[in-house]
Amino acid sequence: MRLTMPQYQRIKLIVAYILLTLWAVLCLFPIYWLVITSFKQPIAVFRGPKYFPWIDFQPTLDAWNYLLFGPVQKEVTRSWSNSAILAVSSAALAVVIGSMAGYALTRFRYFVPGLKWQNRDIAFWIISQRMLPPVVVILPFLIMYRFVGLVDTHVGMILAYTVFNLPFAVWIMRDFFINLPTDLEESALIDGASRLGAFRKIVLPLSTPGLVATFLFCMMFSWNDYLFALMLTFSRASTLPMYIAGEGTQTYGPQWWYLSALSLLAVAPMMVVALLVERYITRGLLVGAIK
Amino acid sequence: MSKERSSTQAVAAASQLPLRRQSKAARDRSKHVFLLPTVILILLLSIFPLLFSLAVAFLSWDLSRLEGGIRFAGLANFVTLVKDARFWNTTRVTVFFVTGAVALEYVLGLGVALLLNQISRFRRIFVVISLMPMMLTPAAVGYVGRMLFNESKGPINDIIQMLGGPMVPWTSEGSLALPSLILVDAWEWTPFMLIVLFAGLQSLPQEVFEAARVDGASDIQIFRHITLPMLAPVSLTIILIRGLEAFKLFDISAVMTGGGPGTATETVTMYAYRVAMKNGNLGYASAIAYSLLIMIVIFSTIFLNSLRRRTAAGLE
Repeated sequence: MRLTMPQYQRIKLIVAYILLTLWAVLCLFPIYWLVITSFKQPIAVFRGPKYFPWIDFQPTLDAWNYLLFGPVQKEVTRSWSNSAILAVSSAALAVVIGSMAGYALTRFRYFVPGLKWQNRDIAFWIISQRMLPPVVVILPFLIMYRFVGLVDTHVGMILAYTVFNLPFAVWIMRDFFINLPTDLEESALIDGASRLGAFRKIVLPLSTPGLVATFLFCMMFSWNDYLFALMLTFSRASTLPMYIAGEGTQTYGPQWWYLSALSLLAVAPMMVVALLVERYITRGLLVGAIK
Repeated sequence: MSKERSSTQAVAAASQLPLRRQSKAARDRSKHVFLLPTVILILLLSIFPLLFSLAVAFLSWDLSRLEGGIRFAGLANFVTLVKDARFWNTTRVTVFFVTGAVALEYVLGLGVALLLNQISRFRRIFVVISLMPMMLTPAAVGYVGRMLFNESKGPINDIIQMLGGPMVPWTSEGSLALPSLILVDAWEWTPFMLIVLFAGLQSLPQEVFEAARVDGASDIQIFRHITLPMLAPVSLTIILIRGLEAFKLFDISAVMTGGGPGTATETVTMYAYRVAMKNGNLGYASAIAYSLLIMIVIFSTIFLNSLRRRTAAGLE
């Protein structure tokens, strides 16, 4: 039997919805697994996998109690607040410094005599830093930081993350400013505003979407970083991924319930942010990838 | 007043036209204020470490010795590197991982993007759900991978056995550990490919597709001869971005497999870290790190060239 065109279209559509639902399940299952495991008791973990709370296992708050009010409370709080402090400050710094450079590269003309570089070359030089594998610069960081006493400090980590995020921030903000009309800053300059004043009072407020997207991305990169934290911190400035990795590879065997709760603490802030500002994130991904 | 006016003209000229009539000193001052912080930070904390690292690669720098730990070693580190079977293994692991993960992520991402392009309702919900895996901290992703792929207590083997399959030794069998790692990485990063490709699909001019359909082209023909070529520039860009990231793999594998079993999932970055921190051999670790940089430069040069060629061909 030959299908008519509308029938064919309809079947295609149904198949698409089925496959997409399957995809959604695939995306969400590991997160669901984290959530239910954090409410399991040891027995529900060791007797093979259990899938549904109240149906095949009895959920408990033990892991959460242990984590938030138990003996490890201090370490958990410290790692969490370290992660938050480092991510927010380095992202803010990268956005401020990076947007200035991004703005400059679209509004002024530069020429580096010795290298015959123009704006485009400078921009490429900046973004090319992003391609560097961090492991190449991490050893000198360690040596330099030891020398000036920045190992395991907040300042040291904020500086490292800011530089790490800067190329991305410059790139994405430059792209944003290219498309931003210049009329308003021009009139401000005519009215006697300084260049920096016009930038701060006119350009930045107009660029809020770009700034938010950049900030979120930088925050995510810092929050998720593993290598820098592993090399440059050991206790005072240590972050959540370090804590997870440290606990996760203990020899006494994986305490899944407690580690799942810990992972959720690390994951939750970024998920909430993503849900709140999904549009900005999609936009940021696109600017980063397509331009 | 005249000075300000000329500066506004300069603004109007944006970056394309030469600036005129503004006093050179004033112009330079403000334009340098904007760019210098970035340039200084990058020179100090990116370029300097890069050169420093290169210099260290030519030294024998042993942290475990108290005195006389540093001396010039010439090419000794690189000679060791070429003969080091463990290094070549980490290179193989890394290249295999990059190829496998990026290919899988691209194919899956494109597939789901095409599906999303077909439907009209619930698009946004699917996009938001797809964003979720990307938001997870890689250390946590590695940990989730460990749980899911656990042989006796993980759900993946449980489901396979429910369907009548065998017990698969995902992370304890050398040849399966790396594919498991690729699957976990693909779970986290396919959404990135998906979202960019979906946006790419939506930005394609619809007239071309309608014309093809009027001419009686089948879905497969349209995909092969129109969609895929038109997506080529975006595809190459995201493959490059993901490839560059994949070369640096460390976090997911460190938590999920710890480089094991044996050295089956040990990446170049992990090896450099171990040589530096466990053995205290900074010179050799720098040489290993530099070899990764060289791999990345070769990879991105090849890609950027083909990207340029594609774009040029598309313009003709």
